[in-house]
Amino acid sequence: MKIKIDNLKKTFGEKVAVDIQQFEINDGQILGLVGNNGAGKSTLFRLILDLIKADTGTITNGGVDVAQTEEWKDWTGAYIDDSFIIDYLTPDEYLQFIARISGISDEQLATQLQKYEHFMAGEITGQNKLIRNLSAGNKQKVGIVAALLLRPQLLILDEPFNFLDPSSQSAIKRLLQDYNRETNATILVSSHNLNHTVDICPRIALLENGRIIRDIDNTDGSAEKELESYFEVD
Amino acid sequence: MNSKDTKSNTAAASTGNSQQTIGKLSKRKLHALLRQHEKLKDKRHPMFERNRFVKFLMYFMVAYYAGCMILMGVTLPIPMSQAYHGVAGFHVLDGWAFILPIIDFWVRFVVQDTPANQTRPYSLLPISRQFLLRRYMVRAGLSVGNMFWGFFLVPFALMSVLPAMNLGAVVGWLVGWWLIFIMNGYVYLCVRALCTRSMFWIAAPIVVHGTILLASFLPDHNLLDTPFTQFMYAFAKWEWWPFAIVVALAALWFWINVKVQGSIVYDEVGKKEDVVVVKSASQMSFLNRFGIVGEYLKLELKMKMRNRMLKIQFFVLLGCMLLLSGVLYFSSIYDGDFMRSFIVLYDYIVPGMSTLVIIMCHEGNYMDLLMSRRESILDLLTAKYYFYVVLLLLPFLLLIPLTIEGKITIWMNLGYLFFVGGLLYPMMFQMAAYNKETLPLNAKLGSRQGNGAQNMVTIAAMFAPILLERLCVALLGDPWGYVVLIALGTVGFATHRQWLRFTYNRFMQRRYQNMEGFRATRK
Repeated sequence: MKIKIDNLKKTFGEKVAVDIQQFEINDGQILGLVGNNGAGKSTLFRLILDLIKADTGTITNGGVDVAQTEEWKDWTGAYIDDSFIIDYLTPDEYLQFIARISGISDEQLATQLQKYEHFMAGEITGQNKLIRNLSAGNKQKVGIVAALLLRPQLLILDEPFNFLDPSSQSAIKRLLQDYNRETNATILVSSHNLNHTVDICPRIALLENGRIIRDIDNTDGSAEKELESYFEVD
Repeated sequence: MNSKDTKSNTAAASTGNSQQTIGKLSKRKLHALLRQHEKLKDKRHPMFERNRFVKFLMYFMVAYYAGCMILMGVTLPIPMSQAYHGVAGFHVLDGWAFILPIIDFWVRFVVQDTPANQTRPYSLLPISRQFLLRRYMVRAGLSVGNMFWGFFLVPFALMSVLPAMNLGAVVGWLVGWWLIFIMNGYVYLCVRALCTRSMFWIAAPIVVHGTILLASFLPDHNLLDTPFTQFMYAFAKWEWWPFAIVVALAALWFWINVKVQGSIVYDEVGKKEDVVVVKSASQMSFLNRFGIVGEYLKLELKMKMRNRMLKIQFFVLLGCMLLLSGVLYFSSIYDGDFMRSFIVLYDYIVPGMSTLVIIMCHEGNYMDLLMSRRESILDLLTAKYYFYVVLLLLPFLLLIPLTIEGKITIWMNLGYLFFVGGLLYPMMFQMAAYNKETLPLNAKLGSRQGNGAQNMVTIAAMFAPILLERLCVALLGDPWGYVVLIALGTVGFATHRQWLRFTYNRFMQRRYQNMEGFRATRK
């Protein structure tokens, strides 16, 4: 799904959180968002999801202004943080809840979950524990799988590699690439992990003080040096 | 700072007895700083910031509540006196003196926070915990909340004690009551703190209050000659001993509290999370037929059953319903028109009263999820409405034996059912558009639920309906007054999709500021 950002500005008091004149993300693109703490990555995601109000400007998702209608929610899946999960449910109950309110049958749900079995590593479904009793990494997995359940045309994940063990980090990378290939969905991923971002994102936007200061073509995987130079990674 | 200073400050912080400094601050400055924090906590609360409506609502509710209490205080002494052959009204009230502290005790669960909770933010700072606890305990004693009943008792005393005795007796009687409420507050704080350790502690006040209430219903019980009557009368006569007893008991409870609250803070610091294992048989498949709304109904039920505070609250409310119905069924003391209406109505109000006023506050924990699904808030509100309407069938059924026995008419029973479900609920659901404070889901009983404005709405919900009901019945009589209530309620039921949509639209208009509040208060 195509995302178009036009004259977008969001401030918190004196601090400029997001200030983007024009930016477009095309259908089927995987965009990596990188930047230091406070650069505005999560705020930008929340603006795209209409969870906070922009001071000025618009964001269109599939041609729909996100602040005006709720239509775009039908094709958008997201996981930003714990506020996207209901922690007094078990993972099975939560995934079933998301599926049912999204019109996904129990059979479709079972088929979907099979695809993510490797990523879930037998620690998510079939557990009689509440989500609140899971480890941070497993909570993160529940949230990511729930976002993928809808087979969204726009998938937004904020720091998806956080809390995950190395095997799961590798699994989520492969999962996102496969998903993008199968569905031609647009995927937005923010991360502090430059290696992972470079590995899966053909396009990377570098944010600083709310502004996109570099829009890097990474189709040939050459962004790593540029990013390492910016972040002064030895 | 040299090492000597550091040592002296550390010592001051650890003992906190008569030192002039706590940490780096003098006691006076620390008091001022903590007072400033308390003021800022209220002033910067997301419910109040930039929200004139809630401010207005709160002041309005305070005025309304005060008006109701004053009205009761002015009007009750004469009928009470007449019912007991001219005995002064305050003697009759004194015979029932245990009732007010019992009600006061349970109301405090809704409105009063514990010192252990208040000191928690400072637990890692170099400030003596004992100093903080004692400070908050003293403040709890001097709180204006202990004058809660003054709106009722002052006019009651002027109408009843003054004609029978003199102004000095009025003052003595009122001071006596005030001291009793202070002591009652300390008992409450202790029980509530202990409940954070084990819920079984709640049994202690239930047993004590239950025993007192049962004893008062004994057939040979002489209302005008009880220890309570003598005790309260001694206050009015300014005899020293009741003052000494209450002050000594308050001091004892103060001391016990400091010990208990202190140990609770340690428990909280070192607590481990309980791991809940869910039985697989929690599909609630009977709700599948209701489609998406059914899914949200399951969510509502699971929220109530799997979160400690909500579960307790739910069962306490159910217990209250049973108690109210039982009191009417087994006793004749509330057979007066007003008291009977009052109790029947509260049987209906109880299930939604303290939960609907904080509607959406627990959902604040996963509000981002709800907001990222199309119209999910509308489905959630619809499910909540159905849940609370179905819950109304419980008091209806509990009151059927009273209808058969002729204590209340079927019109009254139906009138209240429709009134609460069709009129009161739509009003309380409007809080969904204004609440923007996330409340912790799995908080222990020691945590306070709701803020000042919400508490005021709760209190209004307790007192506002009775006036409308009394007005309808006074003007039209029985059954026509109740027929009007049924008609009004039917309109509310029939139009629930419209007013729920209206509430949802209002919520969406305010979504950005509400989301900001939910995020800011999420823990």
